[in-house]
Order: sequence, then structure tokens, then C-alpha cells
Amino acid sequence: MNGYHFKHVYILLGFLIVFSGKASAQGFKLLVPDNAIVQFAGSIGYFSVGAGYDLFKNKKGILDFNYGYVPADKGGELHIVTAKFAYKFYEIKLKDWGKFYPFNPGFFASYTFHPKLSYRFNQHLFPDNYYYWSEALRPNLSIGNEIEFNMKKIWKDSGIKAISLYSEMNTNDYYIVNYFQNTSALTLADIFQLGIGMRVKF
Amino acid sequence: MNKFILLGLVFSLGLGSCNRFEYSPNQIFDRNSPQDINASSLKRLGDGKTDDKVRFILTGDTQRSRDETVAFVKKVNEMPDVDFVLVAGDFTEFGVLKEMEWIARSLSKLNVPYMGVIGNHDLTSRGREVFERMFGALNYSFTYGGTKFICHDTNSREYKFNGQVPSISWLKTELQPQADVSNYVAVSHVPPLNSDFDQNLVKDYTDAFAQTPGFLASLHAHTHVYELYYPDDSGIPYIITSAMGNEEFLLVEIINHKISFERISF
Repeated sequence: MNGYHFKHVYILLGFLIVFSGKASAQGFKLLVPDNAIVQFAGSIGYFSVGAGYDLFKNKKGILDFNYGYVPADKGGELHIVTAKFAYKFYEIKLKDWGKFYPFNPGFFASYTFHPKLSYRFNQHLFPDNYYYWSEALRPNLSIGNEIEFNMKKIWKDSGIKAISLYSEMNTNDYYIVNYFQNTSALTLADIFQLGIGMRVKF
Repeated sequence: MNKFILLGLVFSLGLGSCNRFEYSPNQIFDRNSPQDINASSLKRLGDGKTDDKVRFILTGDTQRSRDETVAFVKKVNEMPDVDFVLVAGDFTEFGVLKEMEWIARSLSKLNVPYMGVIGNHDLTSRGREVFERMFGALNYSFTYGGTKFICHDTNSREYKFNGQVPSISWLKTELQPQADVSNYVAVSHVPPLNSDFDQNLVKDYTDAFAQTPGFLASLHAHTHVYELYYPDDSGIPYIITSAMGNEEFLLVEIINHKISFERISF
């Protein structure tokens, strides 16, 4: 195992600790995800797959863990792990067959595995604050919306509680810095990137 | 009623971001990224064989200064008889695709062709791959109006001062006498008397220029401050242009084998 891969084992361990921390505090049952996710684009992979949890008593909190992949012919090759948090501020009932969540703001952090991307720049090579950001760790802001179909109503025997489709716009520290210094050359549409996904609730 | 306002808002936001599916900030291209800008600019420029008054703009360090780049383009487009624009590195702050696309979008509004040279910021993350696809090779040269412009990578620190950057052997090959070339100009990001330039290579570098008959000047950016200096007794000027963010660039003229330059604010 070379140094590059070895370093990143710690990041993965960090993710595992997040999972296990949840387990020890709330019991093993809570470790089982509430839903499975497939996402297209959204800055965390060409495709990503993940597990989601409903947070809080009102179940309006969203906590997702995704693994994403960008193949070489789509500008990769990249492997990306992401932890997302969002909150469903509004809920609109759509008769008895579904719900619409129009405004789910949140934030997420993604870590990209690639030999050219480091968690922090080589401190021996670069003086303090020469480069002040992390290449691999990306903090993001997001705004999403989600439409949920009540499968118990639509298809009783499916064994699935609900299927929902969501879209999510995000921006990151790079783009925010660029935007605020250049509000005439850049628009909000430039800095917000789109992803869409599907969530299956068991 | 509230519901419909919200629905409408969401719908319009969704439309506004149509075709904005991003896979990663670190992807090296997307379906909208321009390709081979240097090659297509040079094709447009031609060889200028009949042009006895070579006039070009030197700028650099566009980085986070996109608003200024828009003003720069406007200013250059108003100037008469400019042949081309050279951007001497640091197109980006973070070395990512979107930044390079945004700056290329602004620079594409120039009426004259422009060529890019790699800067140290452009080599962070996967910037090298982004640059190579969008602009072209890190070391390249072209001849216009009898002057050969040698554009190259001097960002030694990004290569851990491995002794290979700048490539002295490549430079020496490019500086060989050649038909239809009477003068030489070097263009790179980091100037030799900067700590980001491999200090073990400074003498070989400046000597290579000093020993070339018809060598006119070495042009740089990186420090963000205008400077003119003579590192040796060859009489060759090393000129650093102010950064785009300081709203200043250099207008350079080569007439009758003589080089002159003027600082222009915008």
C-alpha cells in the first residue's frame, strides 16, 4: 500500500466512526438506514449510491452518506465519498398519494480520492498560507426539493414504503469565493450545480 | 396559494440550472469546455510575415479577478493595431475546470487571438490536465512577424524543484537559429529572481537567453507588481506585468528588432 492510499484509509475510518458512533449511542437498530439512494451528478460523482437516515422526531432531517464515481470518459477518474445534511422546511401534502418538500436547504462535505488531490498542501514545500485551501475536501451548500410517492397507496405489494425523486443544487467554497469577488462576470446560475436522485424508503 | 408560489419558485430555479449537471469540481472537462484554445488562436493569428510592427498585450494572474478581466477585454478591444494577447499564467485560483471555463468565456470576447501560458495556481489539483486539454502544451512556441515567442513552464516549486522545470534543454533547442526568425522573446509565469523559480537553474536559464543573438526580452507575471530588471550584463530586460486585479497590463511593441513597452491602466 503506497503512501497516497494509506493516508486515505484514515478518512474512511472517520466515516466508519460516524456510523459506529450513531450505533453505540442509539442502538444497533438505528444503524440500519431508512432509505437507499441513487444520484446522478450533483458534484459528488457521475453516479453515486448511498444510504440515508431520517433525523429528528419529525423526520424532517436528512442525513445521507454517498459513494460516487466519475469515469475517465466523463472527466475522471474520481472516487468521492460524501456526507450530507439537509432539513425539509416545508411539507405539502399531495392528496393521499404523496408529499412535496419544496425547500430543503443543507450542506455537505465531499472527499475526493485522486493522486493529484491532497487533504492539505505539502507543508515542507509551500510556505504558510501559500495555498490556503484543501484540494480533496470540499465544503458545499445545497438547496434541494423532493417529491415523495406513497407506495403503500400506489403499489401495495411492493414492500416499499415510499419512493421519492429529488433535485439538488449545490455550490462550494471555490465557487463562492469566485462569485463574491466577481458579481458582474459570474451569475448565481454559474456557481450552482445540479444533481438529481431517487430515494427508496423501506 | 403559498404552495403554488413555492412550486413556481422551485420550478424556475430548476429551469435556470438546466444543463448544469456537474459530476465533480475536479472533473477535467465537461460537454461545454473549450479545447485547444492556443492552437486555434495561433491558426487565426497566422505568421505575420508582412507585419513589420508587432504589437501585443502581456497580462497575467487573472485568478479571482473576473470582473477586471471583463473590463480588460473591453479596453483591449478599443485599442488599435493590437495583434494578439498573451496571458502569462494563473488563469485560476484553485486549478479547477469551472474557473478556467469562466475566464476563457470572458477572454473569448477579445477581438484578437489570445494564447495562454501555465501558472503555478493552474497546476494545483488537476489543473495541469484541465489546462492541457483547454489550452494545450505547457511548453510551446510560435513565430509572428519574424519574432519567435517561447512560452514555457517556470513553476519550479510545483515540481518540488526537481531540476527539470524550467526545461533548459527544451529552451536551448527552441533558441537554435532558424530561418525567418530574427528575434526571440521568452514568456513564462514565474520570473527567475523569485523564490518559486528553481534557484539552481537561474544561471543556466539567463545564460541561455544571453547567448542567443537577437534575444529581446523575458516576459513574466506571478508577483502581481510591475517590475523591470536586468539580472546580468547582457542588457536583456526581464519584465513583470502587474496582475489583472491591479487593472494594469503591458503593451509591447517590436519594431525593427527593437522592443519597447508601455504600462497601461484600465
